[in-house]
Amino acid sequence: MTSSSPARTGLVLSQLCRRVGQQTLLKDLSLEVAPGEILALLGPSGCGKSTTLRCVAGLDRASSGSIELAGEEITARPPAERNVAMVFQSYALYPHLSVRKNLSLGLELRRVPQAEIEDDVERVLALLQLEACRERKPAELSGGQRQRVALARALLRKPALFLLDEPMSNLDAQLREDLRGELRGILRSTGAPVVYVTHDQHEAMGLADRIAVLKTGELQQLGSAAELYKDPQNQFVASFLGSPSINLLPLHPGELVGLRPEHLEVVEASNPLTPELAALDAQREHLEWLGDRVISHWRVRGSSVKVLSDAQSQSAALAQSHNGPLQLRWKREHELHFEQASGRRIR
Amino acid sequence: MARLLLLIWSLGPMLWQLYTSFRPSAVLTGGARGGWTLEHYQQLLNGEPPFLTYLLNSGIVGLSSTVVTLLLAIPCAYALSRMQAHRARTISVAVAAAAAFPAVLLFLALLEVARDFHLANNLLALSLPYAGLCLPLAILLLQAAFRDIPVELEEAALMEGMSLWQRLRWVLLPLMAPAISSAALLIFIFCWNEYPIALTWLSQADLLTLAPAIARIAGSSIFTVPYGAFAAATVLGSAPLLLIMLLFQRQIISGLTQGAIKG
Repeated sequence: MTSSSPARTGLVLSQLCRRVGQQTLLKDLSLEVAPGEILALLGPSGCGKSTTLRCVAGLDRASSGSIELAGEEITARPPAERNVAMVFQSYALYPHLSVRKNLSLGLELRRVPQAEIEDDVERVLALLQLEACRERKPAELSGGQRQRVALARALLRKPALFLLDEPMSNLDAQLREDLRGELRGILRSTGAPVVYVTHDQHEAMGLADRIAVLKTGELQQLGSAAELYKDPQNQFVASFLGSPSINLLPLHPGELVGLRPEHLEVVEASNPLTPELAALDAQREHLEWLGDRVISHWRVRGSSVKVLSDAQSQSAALAQSHNGPLQLRWKREHELHFEQASGRRIR
Repeated sequence: MARLLLLIWSLGPMLWQLYTSFRPSAVLTGGARGGWTLEHYQQLLNGEPPFLTYLLNSGIVGLSSTVVTLLLAIPCAYALSRMQAHRARTISVAVAAAAAFPAVLLFLALLEVARDFHLANNLLALSLPYAGLCLPLAILLLQAAFRDIPVELEEAALMEGMSLWQRLRWVLLPLMAPAISSAALLIFIFCWNEYPIALTWLSQADLLTLAPAIARIAGSSIFTVPYGAFAAATVLGSAPLLLIMLLFQRQIISGLTQGAIKG
């Protein structure tokens, strides 16, 4: 993270905290989102990602710390004066108004000239392929259409910052995948910083430029998807990203060794071992077919271990039908070591 | 069969009243036979003052009380629905307790108030005690309806830069329409039917509302009971309510059950 430079634009959070009673919902969160950048806040429920979003939106108050947007401090400003647009998880469309009116109401109340409103609304309707739904009420729209209307409403504001709170979580898996690329393109084209809250690692990896992983109100790690995946700073980040999730084996006292399922190979125990490899004897438990890939489950020194391999690979063939003793092997360079007590990475 | 019984049970008295209102007095008190008449209606409509005055008076009192009650209850209910839960609960309990206070005990005090502030024989002034009596119910009903509106809707409006008034006017109140109309109807019906306060606050004949006016008709003579005139008066008095109920029954039902169903 860069230190303070005079012409900072985008969103800057410094030491942001939110406490309610005895509970700390968010602890010393500092991060920056550049204009045109999409940052995902990723974590399980209760990790503080929604709290962060609501503090930035002004819907919740920060207990301490500061929020800066486009060079101005906005920490204490009311939501209306922040120039921030938000897409809610439930979309929060006004149920009694048509799509067109849902989009134009905010502009009309801010006394934008009528002609300008009509132009803008038509442009956004076209951009999001919603022209046919112009006069429909939200209840008459599909989930995907509602999500797009909510996005359209946010786009119309031409805000200095976009906040999206799990905008895909009410859509089915197929639609989610289809919309991901589209959403990314549209958000990117606005040039504004985007903060995107999700609990879905695939969504975060597919959409965001950088990911901030949160747990119980604390930032665990901030970086690109590849960085988080290859070089996690702790056991939590290592387990949260990747599917199937990383295998953690207590191979040394006080220490867990993390092995990604795709880094493991199944071989006959009689195969000679080279120095850069490590190996453990394994008992087969069962197989999961994923079409082109196979997840095989093994028991290794009392722990269960998953191996992900190509359906065509040697590993898959052995996992399926070999009768002799088998071993799991991996390159030592792929090992990730964590302190058993704290979960911290040992390098 | 059960439905038929229920129908007879609820419609019977009304039909009996309707039937009575069209029968000559001689038939009603026994003796004479047969015949239909409009004499009771003619007597009422040509009375001094004509019966329509009472209907109009009740209409004025009902409407003004409804407006006053809603103007006070809507902001109260909104504030309660947005307040911290435990504080809102304390206040709601206090409101419900106020509603449970026996209104009969208020009459003497109200009479004093009417005299000291010269509110007697003033139709609009009657909406003050009426609003006071209707407020608890209206607040509790509307509060439940506000609670049913997802907070995110208002937050979305807030993010769009809408002021409190704009959020109420464009987002919340349109969604509250069923609850507000059913509250309005309950208040209106209460005022339409209210008797003791109207009896004590109004003495001028041309300012009477329906209930005291009908009571006057019933008690106009100590020698005969004017069954026919009384029946005709109740028919005329309940006709507007029936009409309103028929027109708005869907809103009333959806408004009353709103608290039970989450949107």
